[in-house]
Amino acid sequence: MAELTQNEKRLLAILEKEKKADAPHLAGLLDATPEAVVQWAHLAGDKGFATVERVVVKEYIYTDEGKAYAQNGLPETQLLRFILPGTTLADLQKHEAFKIGFGQLRKKGLVKVEGTSVTKTAGASTDADEAAIRNPSGADPKTKDLIKRGILQESETVRYAIAITTAGLSLVKKGLDLRGESGTLTRDQIISGEWKTANLRKYDVTKLPKKAWPGKIHPYQRIIAEMREILLEMGFTELYGGIVQQSYWNFDALFQPQDHPAREMQDTFYLRETLPLPPGYEKVKAMHECGGETSSTGWGGIWKEEKAEQCVLRTHTTSVSIQYLARNPNPPVKAFCIGRVYRRETIDTTHLAEFEQLEGIVMDEGVTFGNLLGILREFYHRMGFEGVRFKPSYYPYTEPSLDAEVYVEGIGWIEMGGAGIFREEVTAPLGINYPVLAWGLGVSRIAMLRLGLKDLRYLHKSDVAFLRETPALRHTKGGI
Amino acid sequence: MAVITLPYKYLERLTRTDKKTILDKVAFIGSDVERIEEDHADVEFFPDRPDLFSPEGVARAMRGYLGIETGLSVYPVKPSGISFTVDPALANIRPVLGAAVIRGVSFDDESIQSIMSLQESLHWAVGRGRSKVAIGIHDLDTVKPPFHYIASTKSRKFIPLDYTESMTMDEMLLKHPKGRDYAKIVKDFPLFPLIVDKDDHVLSFPPIINGERTRVTLDTKNILLDTTGTDKRAVGVAVNIICTAMAEAGATIESVEIGGVQTPTLAPVERTVSVQECSRLLGIELTAVTMAGLLRKMRFGAEPAGADKLNVQVPCYRADIMHDWDLFEDVAIAYGYDRIIAAPPATFTVGKPHPVQVNAALAREAFCGLGYLEVMPFTLTNEDVLYKKMQRDEKNGVLHVMHPISIENTVVRTELLPLLLEFLTLNRHRELPQRLFTVGDVVDSCLTYQQAAGVSTHPDADFSEAYASADAMLHELSIDYTVKESADAAFIDGRRGDIIVAGKKIGVFGEIHPAVLNAFELEHSVAAFEFDLRAVPGYPVL
Repeated sequence: MAELTQNEKRLLAILEKEKKADAPHLAGLLDATPEAVVQWAHLAGDKGFATVERVVVKEYIYTDEGKAYAQNGLPETQLLRFILPGTTLADLQKHEAFKIGFGQLRKKGLVKVEGTSVTKTAGASTDADEAAIRNPSGADPKTKDLIKRGILQESETVRYAIAITTAGLSLVKKGLDLRGESGTLTRDQIISGEWKTANLRKYDVTKLPKKAWPGKIHPYQRIIAEMREILLEMGFTELYGGIVQQSYWNFDALFQPQDHPAREMQDTFYLRETLPLPPGYEKVKAMHECGGETSSTGWGGIWKEEKAEQCVLRTHTTSVSIQYLARNPNPPVKAFCIGRVYRRETIDTTHLAEFEQLEGIVMDEGVTFGNLLGILREFYHRMGFEGVRFKPSYYPYTEPSLDAEVYVEGIGWIEMGGAGIFREEVTAPLGINYPVLAWGLGVSRIAMLRLGLKDLRYLHKSDVAFLRETPALRHTKGGI
Repeated sequence: MAVITLPYKYLERLTRTDKKTILDKVAFIGSDVERIEEDHADVEFFPDRPDLFSPEGVARAMRGYLGIETGLSVYPVKPSGISFTVDPALANIRPVLGAAVIRGVSFDDESIQSIMSLQESLHWAVGRGRSKVAIGIHDLDTVKPPFHYIASTKSRKFIPLDYTESMTMDEMLLKHPKGRDYAKIVKDFPLFPLIVDKDDHVLSFPPIINGERTRVTLDTKNILLDTTGTDKRAVGVAVNIICTAMAEAGATIESVEIGGVQTPTLAPVERTVSVQECSRLLGIELTAVTMAGLLRKMRFGAEPAGADKLNVQVPCYRADIMHDWDLFEDVAIAYGYDRIIAAPPATFTVGKPHPVQVNAALAREAFCGLGYLEVMPFTLTNEDVLYKKMQRDEKNGVLHVMHPISIENTVVRTELLPLLLEFLTLNRHRELPQRLFTVGDVVDSCLTYQQAAGVSTHPDADFSEAYASADAMLHELSIDYTVKESADAAFIDGRRGDIIVAGKKIGVFGEIHPAVLNAFELEHSVAAFEFDLRAVPGYPVL
């Protein structure tokens, strides 16, 4: 049984003497508002110690007009008093109550008009009407009449009759702790030691609290942060770079031929801006045209400077990592970048024109394709994916290339990212003399699986309720 | 991506094994099985392997991978005695011509479909939508050699494929469906490419359309292949892929004389590679003999030449082999990716976060402490949201993308605050108060840097709240600032302040102007602020 509040106890203590009383009466005794008393009575009632009876009382109040009549008499009464033998209609018309009163007198048959004289009928009296205005009653038809005339108004008042039950009586008999109850533990109580005797109000712990929404990072940001931490733990250096890149770093330095379909306007966001090519670009040009000094044949054709100078919104973060490699050609290099990339795609539930990409590179003497598989397996294991497998794939700037697939319970094998070793056509012109292992993955794909999203746009145009309700700690199983 | 239809019966006959064995393994040579149907499978191959864009090519590769027939496929070619002339006037129009005679074909509906789809896939993957390479296939017996590849006037008339009336080449670009699709490749040239026979009958108007005269039918026995383009290597590859696929299907290939040269030869390209280099790159133990065996499985010719060297014959259809490492990938595929030991590299390194991301994480932490919820808006937006609704002038450094997908995504964001207000609009129906923040990239011309912004909306949101929150954020990030009255029209006059660091404005805070609230259809006041994270001490110069 839930604990009685102090107010309920006080009410029961009073009720022990009063047995049954109206709320306003009890309110007077308890020095509270009738509303509060009713609320306490309901609470005590829920526990079986009191009953609350709702009584609807009809009351009649005077309108402004009615107030005047109650004092001076109804208009017909006033006229009746005025009529003396010999009173003419013209006299009567001068009386201020004539307009209303005369009609009433005629209607009730209390006067007779003969020629110009007005006389009372025998026994003419408005006493009954006057009684009705002074003591209105629902049972009196005259009261209804007065309501119709706009002299009285009917109003309903709800009163509560509160009574103690037998259980309540026996509870009071057992004795109630009626010490004053505190809602808040005050500074004074703590310092003075008053808390020792203070009676702190007890709360109903089964009631749900009011919802509080903490400030939080975005659930998607949390996944990005998790990946970032894994890579930092694995000894990778974090990279950060610009959204706007020259075609040279986004495509040409990565040996993407200038007529490659991915470079077309339909697939890449081009900007009007251009930037001058960096020193040493001639080596990249030679690589495209004839394979430079490597065993490669190159793409053939003529490599055009103006195509390389054009700026684009980066289509992959590889444009950032390749510049880092160019600046840091000495091994070992282990670096990663998580950033927004852009593809000119038609936006729908599973395709966005901008999304986060994670990209990692390892450059070192003697690193192998097997090492690349090892890094990927380790990364996906740490993300919680137990089953990881690899299959041949194709990327323009890596050779050999692969796709990594992870096993997801209930879905099966799903593609999680691509990887490979940078072609020598990529590394040689930049003076990088060791193999570069590289891999990338779409972060939003994992987010979509983990957060159970049906529409990727939801990550960026989010419902605040979704962000509030997604807990900071999500239990993941098998990576999802 | 190229999705190739593989009819089981045909594939089984060519591969000489059952379909299950083939389909179980086809992914291991680099493909995705898209659909398994009753009588065929649709399989997607990568764009670097156009030689796999036909059932004949897939069967050739699978025979090798499954060990049914390994090593180089040899395709004998004898001269056809047919010659082609090339008009020097084509030099700046479409200079390159490749051709071949394919004899003894026996077409049915399926095999015609197969060669047409190979042609289309090559147009896409090698031909860059016919601009680099376009392929024409003709019934040889409907025309008379020698043939002439000429630059013709645009008023030349002939009957294009699928038509009964003749029309001028200019008209074809306007009327014929293929003309409309590919007009952009030739329309600016003064003369158009044209292939005619001895009697001036038109075979083709490359890269647009063939003539109706040389239409290939079920009765066609001998084919003339023409391939035109702008890139010699690409044209050669297309010829080789079609000829070898037809040879796999049982036809005989004959060469054609173009400018005194017999073409095609279908001969392999020789390459000598190092066994040790391959072994080191892949991280697997290899001898010359095992490596040669693996390459033969991938249909290369391979003979050890000493302990470390391997003489490799690259088949003429393998356009993707540009570099030794391309061969090493085939070694890895033949070896099996699943058999390669996956072990992370041994070198010890220490992880290092980037200072920009460290700052961003600290800003997020402080925002969360103030009760703000993170949102991650798109970086592509439009001038209406960024400037017009905000009553601000367009920034000089704003970048307009040249071909936006929609009017919603025309520029890269230069500020974050307008996007937060857009977010409040989106969440009008949600419980108040709402306090939202974002930290992220914005651009100023070609430069990317980070900003932070916060908004708070509820009936009592005001200047004091904006000031207090902005102050707390700036303090947590050790930004030493002063405040000056602001003139930013996005805020209410007298309830706005510019954040000044070292004499420069780095941010703004205040109460959002009611006209801006109206523009974003917001009903409650908004306390807001934004600032440039480059003001954080130690922010790196990009």
